[in-house]
Amino acid sequence: MKKNLYSFVLLFVVSISSAQEIIKIEGKELFGDLKARQIGPALMSGRVSDIEGHPSNSRTIYIGTAGGGVWRSQDGGVIFNSIFDEHCQSIGAVAVDPNDPDNSLWVGTGEVWTRNSVSIGDGIYKTNDGGKNWQKMGLEKTERISAIEIHPKDKNTVYVGAMGALWGDNEDRGVFKTSDGGKTWTKVLYLNAFTGCSDLVMDPTNPEILYASFWEYRRTAWSFNSGGLNSSLHKSIDGGKTWVKIHTGFPKGVLGRIAVTVAPSNPSILYAVVEAEKDTEKGLYRSDDAGVTWKHLNGDFGLTVRPFYFSRIVVDPKDPNTVVKAGLSGSISHDGGKTFKGLGMMHSDIHDIWFDVKDSDKMFVATDGGLYRSLNGGTTMEIIENLPICMFYHVSVDNQTPYNIYGGLQDNGSWFGPSASPGGIEARDWESIGYGDGFRVYPHPTNPKIMYSEMQGAEGVWRYDSEKKQVKTVKPFPVTGDPKYRFNWNAAITTSQHQPDRLYIGSQFLHKSDDMGNNWKKMSPDLTTNNPTKQQQVQSGGLSADNSGAENHCTIFTIAESPLDENIIWIGTDDGNVQLTKDAGKTWTNLTMNIKGLPVNTWCYHIEASSFDKATAYAVFDGHTKNDKNAYVYKTMDNGLTWKSIVTADITSFARNIQEDYKNPNLLFLGTELGLFITIDGGLSWSKFTNGVPAAAVHYIELHPKTNDLILGTHGRGIIIIDDISPLRELNAEVLAKPLYFFPSKTYEMDETSTFGGASSETQFIGSNPSSSAQIKYYLSKRHTFGKMSLDIYDSNDKWITTISPGKQKGINIVEWGCNSMAPKVAAGKTIAGSAMFSPRVPAGKYKVVITKGSEKFESSLELKYPTNTVFTSEERKLQEATTKVLYDMTEELAYLVYEMDEYILHSEKVMKENASLKKQALKLNTDLNALKDVLVVTKGDNYVGAGEPQLREKIGDLYSTIGSYYGGPSVSQLETMKMLQDKLADGKKKFQLIKDAQIGKYKVATEKVGITYVTLKSFEEFVKKN
Amino acid sequence: MKKITLLTAFIGFAICSFAQSADEIVSKYFENIGGLDKINAIVSVQMKAKVDYGGMSIPIDMVNLKDGKMMMKINFQGKEITQMAFDGETSWSTNFMTMKAEKDDSENTENIKRAASDFISPFVNYKDKGYTVELLPNETIEGVECFKIKLTKKTILSEEKEIPNIEYYYFDKENYVPIVVEQEIPSGEMKGQISQTLYSDYQEVDGLMFAFSMTQKLKDGQGQTIVFESIALNNKFENSIFKFPGE
Repeated sequence: MKKNLYSFVLLFVVSISSAQEIIKIEGKELFGDLKARQIGPALMSGRVSDIEGHPSNSRTIYIGTAGGGVWRSQDGGVIFNSIFDEHCQSIGAVAVDPNDPDNSLWVGTGEVWTRNSVSIGDGIYKTNDGGKNWQKMGLEKTERISAIEIHPKDKNTVYVGAMGALWGDNEDRGVFKTSDGGKTWTKVLYLNAFTGCSDLVMDPTNPEILYASFWEYRRTAWSFNSGGLNSSLHKSIDGGKTWVKIHTGFPKGVLGRIAVTVAPSNPSILYAVVEAEKDTEKGLYRSDDAGVTWKHLNGDFGLTVRPFYFSRIVVDPKDPNTVVKAGLSGSISHDGGKTFKGLGMMHSDIHDIWFDVKDSDKMFVATDGGLYRSLNGGTTMEIIENLPICMFYHVSVDNQTPYNIYGGLQDNGSWFGPSASPGGIEARDWESIGYGDGFRVYPHPTNPKIMYSEMQGAEGVWRYDSEKKQVKTVKPFPVTGDPKYRFNWNAAITTSQHQPDRLYIGSQFLHKSDDMGNNWKKMSPDLTTNNPTKQQQVQSGGLSADNSGAENHCTIFTIAESPLDENIIWIGTDDGNVQLTKDAGKTWTNLTMNIKGLPVNTWCYHIEASSFDKATAYAVFDGHTKNDKNAYVYKTMDNGLTWKSIVTADITSFARNIQEDYKNPNLLFLGTELGLFITIDGGLSWSKFTNGVPAAAVHYIELHPKTNDLILGTHGRGIIIIDDISPLRELNAEVLAKPLYFFPSKTYEMDETSTFGGASSETQFIGSNPSSSAQIKYYLSKRHTFGKMSLDIYDSNDKWITTISPGKQKGINIVEWGCNSMAPKVAAGKTIAGSAMFSPRVPAGKYKVVITKGSEKFESSLELKYPTNTVFTSEERKLQEATTKVLYDMTEELAYLVYEMDEYILHSEKVMKENASLKKQALKLNTDLNALKDVLVVTKGDNYVGAGEPQLREKIGDLYSTIGSYYGGPSVSQLETMKMLQDKLADGKKKFQLIKDAQIGKYKVATEKVGITYVTLKSFEEFVKKN
Repeated sequence: MKKITLLTAFIGFAICSFAQSADEIVSKYFENIGGLDKINAIVSVQMKAKVDYGGMSIPIDMVNLKDGKMMMKINFQGKEITQMAFDGETSWSTNFMTMKAEKDDSENTENIKRAASDFISPFVNYKDKGYTVELLPNETIEGVECFKIKLTKKTILSEEKEIPNIEYYYFDKENYVPIVVEQEIPSGEMKGQISQTLYSDYQEVDGLMFAFSMTQKLKDGQGQTIVFESIALNNKFENSIFKFPGE
């Protein structure tokens, strides 16, 4: 354990072996300011697997999610924050330690709602400080943890229900117990390698009494089985030492999944939901004698539906007869389980329910579409709008500015939304473009109004015109002589880089349309293994038939047309085939046997055809549905004749997707079940990227060809974007050895769009926008900690423009410059002149960047340009810049004028106090200066509704910021106003000069005569100096 | 010259660093920045700083006294505005709408009173103050491998409840100075999020090393930096600069 932690924080090492050219990088010491932004969205949220609350403080609520980690609310469920980003994001159970409920929390990873797309866990974690620091406490191989029960008087005694592996046999399942706070574990109840503990509850009044349900279950890529002779319910009354089966009253024969719970207010009352052979025996059972006997109460649909997905039953903490059952819609009973009614309208697929500890009318409900709360006992529900935990299967982008992002979600349809939006990326920015479960969504390559989407098993494949709001089903259907088409649950669709109207879709055949899906041609034979034993989905489900299409198998899963040659197409299938055509489908070669070291029939999840070389491709295989959690990533450079593994021990879980950079062939991005990995040496070594990318399952990666943004479609944390990864292209041993290296900067197009926007409420999630500033990017080989460090911008004439705070961390630093120079010095008044705070934008052109580190200087340059898409002429821009400069200077001239007057005013006040003989003279001067000042700046009122009438400072400031912030030329009216203000300023100066001529000469002589130190004024240059 | 001596000392410590306790790390930190005796002899710190914000360079004058009194004043458009002050009893600030002094709420004032003994560093005499330290596994932050120390101080008030007051200090393993301090935001809409303060540009003042640059930010967010232009020790100040001006 400790060893792992230490290796995690190893000192930054750049070890270069001339033979292997490995560039070993530690992500936390390199990526620095290269940070990801999570843009959600949260409007359709994602699957919540578990809810847990503080035992006495109802403001604190935790949720565990299917793929988005653990979130905490401390305000009664209004705002949630993620507290588990660095660890496995698939959560089975969350438990608050009743011995220290403010600080101690346990999290068992591995979701227990075992649908086809469920992720896996990697053990149990504990925090003693409310989630700021986590420690892994073992049970790594349990894969999914169904429950954690903590002894209410002894924090070191904890029981864990472990369901174990879904996709194969393993012995790390059953009930585990620790008596030393998780240092060591004992398996206190174990049945066999294919039956796990699916529910575990402790008697709330006696921690020695435990109930544990066991479930025999198994998934393969093509089938699911729930039930077996080993499924059973057990009870211990001695803290897990001994167990007895408690089935009196239960159905005989084979059982499936069993949910069990104890009424908190009466521990003799138990409820169990049992999956059984006969429909008449399925459903809710109740025991009134602590499990000695059971009575069947209810077999309604809501109680029996899909036990593998909905086996949770919850009792009101105050009322043993109010029972809520998870299900398709969720059901509630107020008569002890005799009858049920549905919960209020919300997203379907309910997984857990939590009653407020103080008020049972208030409840939270976990669904496939996020977390809901009710204030009236479940009758009406409202969604929590700040949980960006949606589960993308795929992501694609278009070529618009800003570009749009397209993707499909688990049980939440298909969507597209912008990568940037005024005020941030809000829920309302996303548009729905598909029903059901959404998967692959693509924009038409050249027509931004057309897009394609699909639903599960290609039951619907749509072409959508977003302008005309018209949708057409474009799914291919069999023709004479064809067998039934087999489409994957997540059917492969893609567009072509060569023919804009082309669309490919994979069943067991590859289909091609050259007219946007209107007409289709089969362009291959069956490219799968076509194994009939893997095509018996009608028998899938075990005790509860479950043929949803999720287990469709022997299908094409990935289609990769070469970006260099439309005749070259690579195909990967879910049953492990890799096929290649180099003649647009006339002939196909099965390359599978050429991939050495790859277990047979390992799901080919993604093929990436190289954009550097026609013969080069990468293939990613995912074996987890065969209980193989290794990563398989291969590269071929000879059309698939030979393949080389580019996996290293750095990669800690199975992988699904790879993205090749467009400029540097050694820069690759790998999407794994535990986050994003990056290599800069072609796969000789990998580094985990953690700056804003949680350890979530990255299902798909896209690299935007124009912006160089890396877009991740995660299955649990929505869309995550790393803006502009181009600095990574530059990294090599030479760069990494330099004390400071400026990355080449692109010419920045200055942003002239309005700052209007933003209509979300305070409790809604808003995805952050990319930076609109110019960016200065550099690499520091060592963190700057001692001595001064600064960053200055100069224009092409070496005139100083501004100073910016530099980044000082070791690794990549990104410093933002809003392209502004310094704001003018503003006249002092009674109030703040808001409009005069404006700092003018610099003109387009070349600028010098100078970083000073102690006595060392490092220089680079930066070029700014005006937007390409603009209505302003260069003459208008020149006039705007010149006029802004005039008003800037006027602001400072007025500031200096008022400064001079203030100095005399202050002096005269002092003289009046200290020298009676000069009082009259000083008073006259003071009065005349204050009278003049009254028309130059506001001298009365406040900064809100008690503000004084605007004076010259405010009027110049208003015009200055108005003209300065609009990049077209000023209007004639504005220039006329400026002329008027110039006259007023000149008049002010003249009046001050008159006062000086008439009074100040004499005043100086008089004050000096009596020994009073006279006013010392700064020069104008000194007064306005800014650096 | 003196600075070079101190830096040499840092390197010396780096070489002989091995498994250490939190207490040893804190001791070395004090030793490396100039010694606890010198720190204990300080009665006031005055810092003149500037913040660059939206093209404006805003001068700041900060004064902290050993007894907990403090004052932070900015100069904005020629006006001096006390942005935050504590006179030993009352914590107050200036309302920007009215430009008048207003008292902080009682909870915040109480929390400031409780932090009064954290002059220069909360680690000074931390045991006597009832604070505890715990060494957590090393972490890399700002690209640097650091000792991570959990400092548990006296509880603070949040939403009318006593809550733990915990700060996480990241001491650069090479030289034992803190480069980052993290704290969970205890109240308000941001409650539960992590704030970070980054320290750099350490320079010597009367034989003691002070960070001349401080950046405050949300973890993974953009920061705002304060650059200190001068730090003066043991100047004397009139009580009036801290005093709440009255109702």
